[in-house]
Amino acid sequence: MKGYLYDSDRCMACTSCTVVCPVAAATREFLGPKMVGPALSRFRRPALAPDLAADLCSNCKNCDISCPSGVPISTLNMLSKAEYYRHHRHRLRDWVLSHGQLMGNLATPFVPLSNLAIANPISRTMLGAFGFAGRMPLPAYVRKTFRKQFRALRQQSFPQKVVFFPGCYIDFYDPGVGLDFVAVMQANEYEVVVPRGLGCCGTPMVANGFPGAAERAVRRNVRALQEWTDAGVPVVACCTSCSLTLKQEQQELFDVPGAAELAARVYDATEFLLELRDRGKLKTDLKQLSGRYLYHAPCHLRDQGIGRPGFEMLGSLPGLEISDADAGCCGLSGSYGFKGDRYEVAQAVGDALFKKVRASGADAVISECGTCRHQITVATGAKTLHPISVMRRAFE
Amino acid sequence: MDSVTVVVIGGGATGTGILRDLSMRGVKTLLIERGDLASDASGRFHGLLHSGARYAVTDPRSAKECIEENAILRRIGKHCVEKTEGFFVRLEGDGEDYEGQWVAGCAAARIHAKRVDLKEARRLEPHLSRRAVSVFRVPDSAIDGFRLCWQNVASARRYGGEVRTYTEATGIERAGDRVVGVTVCDTLTGAVDSIGCDHVVNAAGSWVGRVASWAGIEVDVKPDRGVLIAFNHRFTNRVINRLRPPANGDIFVPHGPITVLGTTSSPVASADDNVPHVEEVLELLHNGTELFEDLPKYRILRAYAGARPLYSPGEGRAASRDFTILDHSTDGLRGLTSAAGGKLTSYRLMAEKTADVVCRELGVKAACRTAAEPMVEDPPRRLVTRARPFFPPYGLDLAASRLGAAFGPVVQGLQMHPEERRLICECEMVTLAEVESAAREPTTFNLGDIRRRTRMGMGTCQGAFCSLRAVGALVSHDLVADKDGKALIRDFLETRWKGIRPVLWGDQIREAEFQREVYAATLNLDGTAQR
Ligand code: SF4
Ligand code: SF4
Repeated sequence: MKGYLYDSDRCMACTSCTVVCPVAAATREFLGPKMVGPALSRFRRPALAPDLAADLCSNCKNCDISCPSGVPISTLNMLSKAEYYRHHRHRLRDWVLSHGQLMGNLATPFVPLSNLAIANPISRTMLGAFGFAGRMPLPAYVRKTFRKQFRALRQQSFPQKVVFFPGCYIDFYDPGVGLDFVAVMQANEYEVVVPRGLGCCGTPMVANGFPGAAERAVRRNVRALQEWTDAGVPVVACCTSCSLTLKQEQQELFDVPGAAELAARVYDATEFLLELRDRGKLKTDLKQLSGRYLYHAPCHLRDQGIGRPGFEMLGSLPGLEISDADAGCCGLSGSYGFKGDRYEVAQAVGDALFKKVRASGADAVISECGTCRHQITVATGAKTLHPISVMRRAFE
Repeated sequence: MDSVTVVVIGGGATGTGILRDLSMRGVKTLLIERGDLASDASGRFHGLLHSGARYAVTDPRSAKECIEENAILRRIGKHCVEKTEGFFVRLEGDGEDYEGQWVAGCAAARIHAKRVDLKEARRLEPHLSRRAVSVFRVPDSAIDGFRLCWQNVASARRYGGEVRTYTEATGIERAGDRVVGVTVCDTLTGAVDSIGCDHVVNAAGSWVGRVASWAGIEVDVKPDRGVLIAFNHRFTNRVINRLRPPANGDIFVPHGPITVLGTTSSPVASADDNVPHVEEVLELLHNGTELFEDLPKYRILRAYAGARPLYSPGEGRAASRDFTILDHSTDGLRGLTSAAGGKLTSYRLMAEKTADVVCRELGVKAACRTAAEPMVEDPPRRLVTRARPFFPPYGLDLAASRLGAAFGPVVQGLQMHPEERRLICECEMVTLAEVESAAREPTTFNLGDIRRRTRMGMGTCQGAFCSLRAVGALVSHDLVADKDGKALIRDFLETRWKGIRPVLWGDQIREAEFQREVYAATLNLDGTAQR
């Protein structure tokens, strides 16, 4: 058993976490991280029936960021949710939202039919009946997954290797980001490896109360990456939730052998590039760019405690004008904002960001997280980009 | 001057038990207590309702008495007893012979002690030491001393019994060889008074000797000090006892969200000496770590000390934890009875025996009924269902059992005024409505009284948030007329400090510093910052 007992013991009830929790600010129905996490954990042991107080928690992890005591509050929340679902049935919707990889594998061969099936008004009504938010379109599947396109790619071979962890979002919805990463690395004399057997990082399963499936995902990824981590090759993700899970969340939740060794090699893509730049390992004759961008830092990037490397990198590219929105959580939190009964909360949470985006007049909004970008585009109509896509233009 | 038939001195378990017993027999009785109820030994112990197994080898008579009373209290005290059951755990290196004697002792006392498979024991109590070699389950339970006393009073009140807290007895009035009253002093205002009566019951616990001395009678009760530690979490769901000859620091008792570890035993000159020392805490931790290896990692909330009253009649016999009822007519004074010694588990029996003596002298024929009738009624099911949405998870059952008869009106308030559902104390989940309800009681004078009724301030933050909130609520609802809000907070935090100071390390020192920042640095409660 992990040290959850002492973890929640460290809470000194300072309430910082509740002050920063975007969900608690959006709805009084949510008791807030202090109560739902460490405070209720004191009562859960004697209780016979698990509670669902954490159900409104979006696992955005702003509470963890603010906690001066290092309490893994969001993880306590996810555990209590999991405990509840050990005794109660899940909603089908939550299963669908948390098994993106499986759904993607099923849907991709039938694109564009499968997208049409999701997006047409009739099935959207039906989806609504299953608990999806009618007003929140699901992202569209691509015809060719990232991995398929990657396999067709002809890379130049270099002695320096880097492993790329695509994750579900890039694989099924946004392969361009992965291809941009490969291009940037190639321009800097790195060869990109995508080992067979990688899948979902597990975080959507955690957030929807499927810890068993999440643990299996972690085990599979650790196994698939083992030979590379053993060889000391860095593992990089462009999705901040994937990199956070690989670095931290899976370790808070599970005891998977090899997971700690893997975690030590994991980088977020922008973090990795910034480090290369600082060590003088990146190409310096960059193309002149132009454009005015607004940057949104995903919560799961901020929780990594590495600053805003993407923002920093872009700020140093010639000709770019970029400012930080600094407007908190976008509200979507992976799968949360797609749920009918969470949609209002998710929109309320993102409101400050949406206002900033609309007022900015920027050419595009830059953010590392795919679901943040989706939320921003749907809510504001703004064009969005991953920082790596902008970097590609400078490096190629 | 008021006049009643019997005055009981001492508002612990024994005194309130006697008040209940006499009231149920139709005797007009008033209890006086110098502080709040259960503010001494009855609120300063491990909160263990013994099954008797702990005495199975050393004191078979107590063992038998305990198991009988245990069964009664689990029946009549449903709202102050948590039926946790208990484990007796023998560790590697603990004598096997003792285990044999203990099993035989339990059988002789008719205590149901059943061996538990080690794997099952670990499943039930995953934090228990890996060095456990035998585990037995017994009907130990957890009992809340504060609630026990108040529920005795609630029951007594239904039969006309009365109680006056913050009223200290200062002398016994006599006419010839008869007691005719007691002189009292209001400890809050200093006003003196006297109360006329036919009989005085001396149930002053460790102070029994002092009270008897006012009548020129010597009763040799010696206080024996016990120190306990309260931990922030419930890391065991059962009472855990070490299966070896009773020693210091080998009992763990879960209470709601916390766990209590006890206890030490050392004679003290005065029972008022109840500040724990660091060395005592360290000794408990050292011993307790054998049963729970991770103990040093668990957060301590506070430490506290209480004094057991040990009665030693004359020379040559060891002081015992048994009780003795002293009818002082044998000393030439009629109308005075002392209840000396005893332990909480058998308080009801002790009260019964005392009331028997008093009734015999008063010529009252009614028999004791305290074992038959529950102290407080269960709240109606419909009310509980209606109340569920007004409480956070787990909060409802806690509130229902601590509120007793006040539960109905509190639920009413929560329904009509949703803002009353806000939590004043988040750590122990006490709503504004409950705090106000406790504050409205005529026996409530300060935040400590509210704390003992509701558990406000007893959790993780030890009053950092609730004291300010509670005083704010009380002042704005005019519930503390003529009282200085600042002084209320200061007194409350000061008593919390007493328990925190001996455990000021680890997470608790961070908590204390946080509290200091809030009250001293931000609110200038200590007045350091001058204009
Ligand atoms: S993870 Fe996000 S939503 Fe959940 S409690 Fe923490 S801050 Fe609130
Ligand atoms: S921020 Fe951390 S220490 Fe403060 S209340 Fe929340 S969990 Fe507790």
